[in-house]
Amino acid sequence: MIDFHTHPVLIREFVAKYPGYERAAREVFNIGNNFQPLETFLLQMDVAGIERAVLLPIACERARKDAVSSNEQVAELCTMTKRFIGFASVDPLENGAARELENAVRDLRLKGLKLDPALQEFRPNASNVFPIYETAAALKIPVLLHTGMSWAPQTALEIGKPLLLEEPIRQFPKLNFVLAHFGWPWVWEATALALKYPNVFLDMSCLYYDSPKEFYQSVFSKRIPTTVIERSLRDKLVFGSNYPRVEITNMVHALKSLPLTEGCLQKILKENAERLLGLTDAIQ
Amino acid sequence: MIIKLERITLQTRKHNEAIDITAKVDNVVRTSGVKNGLVNILTTHTSSGLLVTEGIPCLEEDILTHLSRLFPEDVDYHHRRYLDYDGRLGFNAEAHLKSVVGGISCTFPVENGEVVRGSRQAVYFMEYDGPLERTYLVQVLGD
Repeated sequence: MIDFHTHPVLIREFVAKYPGYERAAREVFNIGNNFQPLETFLLQMDVAGIERAVLLPIACERARKDAVSSNEQVAELCTMTKRFIGFASVDPLENGAARELENAVRDLRLKGLKLDPALQEFRPNASNVFPIYETAAALKIPVLLHTGMSWAPQTALEIGKPLLLEEPIRQFPKLNFVLAHFGWPWVWEATALALKYPNVFLDMSCLYYDSPKEFYQSVFSKRIPTTVIERSLRDKLVFGSNYPRVEITNMVHALKSLPLTEGCLQKILKENAERLLGLTDAIQ
Repeated sequence: MIIKLERITLQTRKHNEAIDITAKVDNVVRTSGVKNGLVNILTTHTSSGLLVTEGIPCLEEDILTHLSRLFPEDVDYHHRRYLDYDGRLGFNAEAHLKSVVGGISCTFPVENGEVVRGSRQAVYFMEYDGPLERTYLVQVLGD
C-alpha cells in the first residue's frame, strides 16, 4: 500500500540540524504535536500496513519566510530508506523555478511536484504559473496541488477551489494533476474534474470534522455516493493520510470501512499510485 | 534528603501496548543513593498510562482488550473536533479515557536501596495511542 500524502514536518533529527524547520512546523504549517524520531514515522507506516509514503515539501519561503520541509530534506530522508518517495516543491513565481525543479528531479531524484497555492500565495490559474506546469509536463512527473480548505493560518480559502485548476488541466493534457484532499468542501467540483479529464486524479487525504470513519462516511457515502467511487472513479483516486495531521492507520481503517470491492481498494491503495509514479522497482 | 528525578524515553511500536518497565525503575532506585524513602513513577502523556499488575502476557492482553471494550473507537465522543492548538483533529478520546481509568502513576516504598513490592507486581508503561516516542518520570525521594 502507498500513502500518497504525508508531510515530514515533525522529524526530531531535523530540528537542530535545520534552522527554521521548527518554526515552519509550528507557525507556518501549524501543528502542535511533539517532534518524533524518524523511527516513529516508519512505525506509523508499519502499523497501518503502508509500504511506501510520498513525502511532500512546500516551498513557501517568499510568502511565509521558511519552507515547510525543503527538497534537500526530503531527498535526505529518501536516502535513508527506500520506503519514501520524495516530491519536490518550487515557488512558481520565483525566477529560476523551472531550473530548480529540473535539478530536483535530475540530481535529487525527486519524483513529482508539490504546490500549495494558498500557502505559497499564488493563483494556480495565473499565466505566470504556467511555465512550471510546462516544465513538470516535460519532466513527465505528476503535480500534486493542495485543493480545498487548508488548516495553515493566514491562507485564503478561495484559492483552494478545484475549478481554478481547469484551465491548466486543459492546457496541459499530458501532465497528471493530483488534487489533494478531494477538494473538500468542493468535493463535487473535484469529482467533476476527475470524471471529465483523463489527466486529473484525486487524493483522499481529507479529514475536516468528526473522526476519520465518520468523515469518510459523510463525504464518500452521503455527499458523493460510494457507487461513484466504485464505478467511475476507481482508476482516478489515490489513498493519502495527510500524516502527521492524522495517524495513517486511522485513515486506512476509514477507507476500508466504505463498502468498496477489494479490486477497487487495491487500485486506490496501490495500483493508481504506482501508475502515477511510474514505479517498477520492488522495495528492498 | 536526596531527591532524584530521571526522565526516561521509550519508543512504543504498536497502537496499544503494555511495556514492562520494572527493571528500569529498579535500576534508577539502585543508582539514586536513596536507602529509605519512596519512588514515584509517572507518565508525561495524557494518552498513555502507568499501572501495576502481575507481569504475565495473558494479563497484559486482557487489560488492553477490556479497556478497549470499555472505550471502543466507534462510539460518539465530543473530542472529535478540530483542535486549533494542535493544528489537527482530536479523535483519540478512547486513549485519553483508558489513561484516566487505568491511571498514570504509581508509588512504592524504598527500603535498604531496593523497591519494596509484592512478588507478583510489575510496573507497566501503557501505550494507548502509539506508536510514538514517549517519556515517563521516575522520582526517588529519601535518605
